[in-house]
Amino acid sequence: MIGVAQGPLLAMHGISKRFGAVEALTDVDLEVHAHEVVALVGDNGAGKSTLAKMVAGALPPDSGLIEIDGEAVTIPTPAAAYNLGVATVFQDFALCENLDVTANLFLGREMHGALRRSDEEMERITREVLHRLASRIPSARTPLAALSAGQRQSVAIARTLIGSPRIVVLDEPTASLSVAQTAEVLTHIERLREMGLGIILISHNMTDVRAVADRIEVLRLGRNNGSFSTQRASYEEIIAAITGATRAEPPWQPSGAPLSAVG
Amino acid sequence: MKALRQFFGANMRQYALFGFLIVVMAFFAWQTGGRTLHSENLQNIIIGWSYVLVMALGMLFVIVMGQIDLAPGSVAAVVGICLALSIKDWGFPWWAGILFGIAVGTAIGMWQGAWLAYIGVPGFITTLAGQMLFRGLDQHISNGQSVPVPPQIVKIGSGFLPDWGPHTGFNNPTLVLGVIAMLAVIYREIRRRGKIVRGGGVVPPTWVMVARLATVVAALAILTIAFANGRPGTSFPVAGVIIVLLVIFYHFVETRTTIGRGVYAVGGNKAAAALTGINIKKVYFIAMTNMSFLAAVAAIMFVGKSGSTGLSDGNGWELDVIAAVFVGGAAVSGGVGTVVGSVIGGLFMSILSNGMFVLGVGSDWSAMIRGLVLLVAVAFDLYSKAQGRPSITGAIMRGLRSRRKETQGEEQVRPEVAKI
Repeated sequence: MIGVAQGPLLAMHGISKRFGAVEALTDVDLEVHAHEVVALVGDNGAGKSTLAKMVAGALPPDSGLIEIDGEAVTIPTPAAAYNLGVATVFQDFALCENLDVTANLFLGREMHGALRRSDEEMERITREVLHRLASRIPSARTPLAALSAGQRQSVAIARTLIGSPRIVVLDEPTASLSVAQTAEVLTHIERLREMGLGIILISHNMTDVRAVADRIEVLRLGRNNGSFSTQRASYEEIIAAITGATRAEPPWQPSGAPLSAVG
Repeated sequence: MKALRQFFGANMRQYALFGFLIVVMAFFAWQTGGRTLHSENLQNIIIGWSYVLVMALGMLFVIVMGQIDLAPGSVAAVVGICLALSIKDWGFPWWAGILFGIAVGTAIGMWQGAWLAYIGVPGFITTLAGQMLFRGLDQHISNGQSVPVPPQIVKIGSGFLPDWGPHTGFNNPTLVLGVIAMLAVIYREIRRRGKIVRGGGVVPPTWVMVARLATVVAALAILTIAFANGRPGTSFPVAGVIIVLLVIFYHFVETRTTIGRGVYAVGGNKAAAALTGINIKKVYFIAMTNMSFLAAVAAIMFVGKSGSTGLSDGNGWELDVIAAVFVGGAAVSGGVGTVVGSVIGGLFMSILSNGMFVLGVGSDWSAMIRGLVLLVAVAFDLYSKAQGRPSITGAIMRGLRSRRKETQGEEQVRPEVAKI
C-alpha cells in the first residue's frame, strides 16, 4: 500500500495530557511502522486509551508532536483522522445497533451524490471488505443487533478498512469476546498487517499481545516504561514493567528501531 | 408460510400495521353498515386529522434521535395567529401570510433547536418550556380574539381538487392521482427487483411480485374510487395531496440522505455517532427546527379547516402526534421508527377515533380505548425487543419469522459471499 520503507508511519514525541490535576500522559513517545503491530500495554489508568484517542482525533494533546509519514500533523476531529488515514476501533463498540452492517461501516462518512446517499456503492464496498477480512457476517444488510459480539467486533475492524487507512488503532478489541471470537479478531489483525498497515493494539491480555504483536510498548502512570521485542522478551519482564517492578532506565531501548523485520 | 413471508418481504412490520389498519376499517364498516367507508367520511378523516399526520413526520425524527417535542401544539397556535393577523391587520396577501407563518414556525424551531443543541438543555425541558412560552405568546398576540382567514387558506385546509375533463361520474383529478400512484408503485417494485438482480441478489418468484403488486394496486383502486365518487365538487382533499407530497419527501430524507442516517445514528448510539464524526448538534438543531416547521404547515391547514383561529388551537396536539409515532412503531429509546410507519400510526389512530365517533361511542370511552391502544402498541414494542427481534408488530408475525433461516429474505447477498 503506502510504500515508505524506512521512516515510521506514525511518530508521537513528548505527548502530554492533563485532566485537571491528573497527569494522564507525561512526555510519551510512540512509533509505528508499516507492516507492524505495536502492542500498547499497561495497567488500568496507564494512559493507553488516552493515547489512542489522540491518534483517533477524539482528544487533543496538551503538548507534543504527532507525525504521520514524517509530516507534523494536528488531529482535531475524527474526520481529520480519517482524512489522514488513521482508523480507530474504540474500546466500547462504537457502533449503532439499530443500523445495518453497511450503515455502520460508513457511519459519519457516507458516500453521497448531490442529493442522495450512494447506498448501492457503499453496499458493494462493504461486501468487498467483508470478503477481504474473510469475516463471517451473513449479509451487508444484517442489523448490528442481530450479530454476536465477535461479529460486531469484525464489523468494527472492517470499518477501519473503508477509505485508504495507513494506521489502525484497536483499543481492547478482544476485551469482551469468547475464545473463538478472540481468535477470529486476532486473525483479522494479522490480515491488516499483511495489507501493510501500521497497527496499534491496546490490550490487557498478554496472550493476545504475544500472539500478534511485533513490539510491545509499556506505559505506566502515563509514562513510557519499556519497549520489548515480542520474540525476545519474557512474560515476566513485561509484567514487571507494567507493574512497576522495573523502571525504564534512561538509556532504555528506544522504540524507534524496528526490532523485528516482518514483511 | 414461506409464501407469506415472501409476499410481505422486508417491510413486514409495516405491512403488519397496515393489515391491522385494514382490519379496524373493516370492523367499523361492518358495525356502521359501511358508513365509515363513504367518501364523505373518508374525506373528513383526512381533513380532520391532517395536522396530526403532518406533525407526525417531524415528531418521528425527533423521537428517533432520542428526544421529544412537547411544544408543537403551542407553536402551531402562534403560527396560526401570526398568519391570520398578518393578513387581516398588515394587509399581507394570503400567500405572504403563509410564508410569514412558516417563517415564524421555523424561527421558533431554531430557538428550540439552539437550546437543545448548543446549550444542552434536554429536549423534554426545552419543549415543555416552549409549550408554556408559546401558549402564552399566542394568548398575548391574539388577545382572546378569533381571527378569520381568507378563502384561499380555507381551500388549503378543507378544499377539494377542481374537476375538469369529461363527465365520468367521478372526480377526474382524483382518478388521475390514483392511477399515478398505482403506476409509481409498480415502477418502484420493478426497479427495485432489477437492482437486486443486478447486484447478484436472490429475488422471490415472479408470482410473488405479481400477487403483491395486485394487492396494493387493488387497495389503491378501492381508495381512489371511494374518494372520487363523493358529492359533486368533492375529491381527494387538497390537504391529502399536501400530506402525500410531504410523506414522499420525508421518506426520501429518512432512507436516502446522510442527514437522515445521522438522525438514526444519534438515536441508536450517541457516543458512537460522536466518535465517528457525526455532528450531533447539527442533527439536533435540524430535527427540532424541522418539527416546528411542520407544526407551522399543520397550523396553516388547521386554521384553514376551521376558517379562523381559536384560543384552543393546538391544545393537546403534541399528545396525538406522539401517540401516532409510537403506534407507528418508533422505539421509546430512540433509533427505531419510519416515516411510513408513523403515517400509518396516525391513520390508525384517526380511523379508530372516527369509527368510534360514527358508532356513537362517547368521548369518554373513545379516549380510554385510544389510551389502551397506545399502551398495547408500546408494550408489543418492548416485548418483541426483549425477544431479540427488531421491534413492534413484528412480534405478531412471529410465526412467520421462525422460518427465517430456511427462507433467506429477498435482500440477501450472493450466497458465495455469505458462505466465506
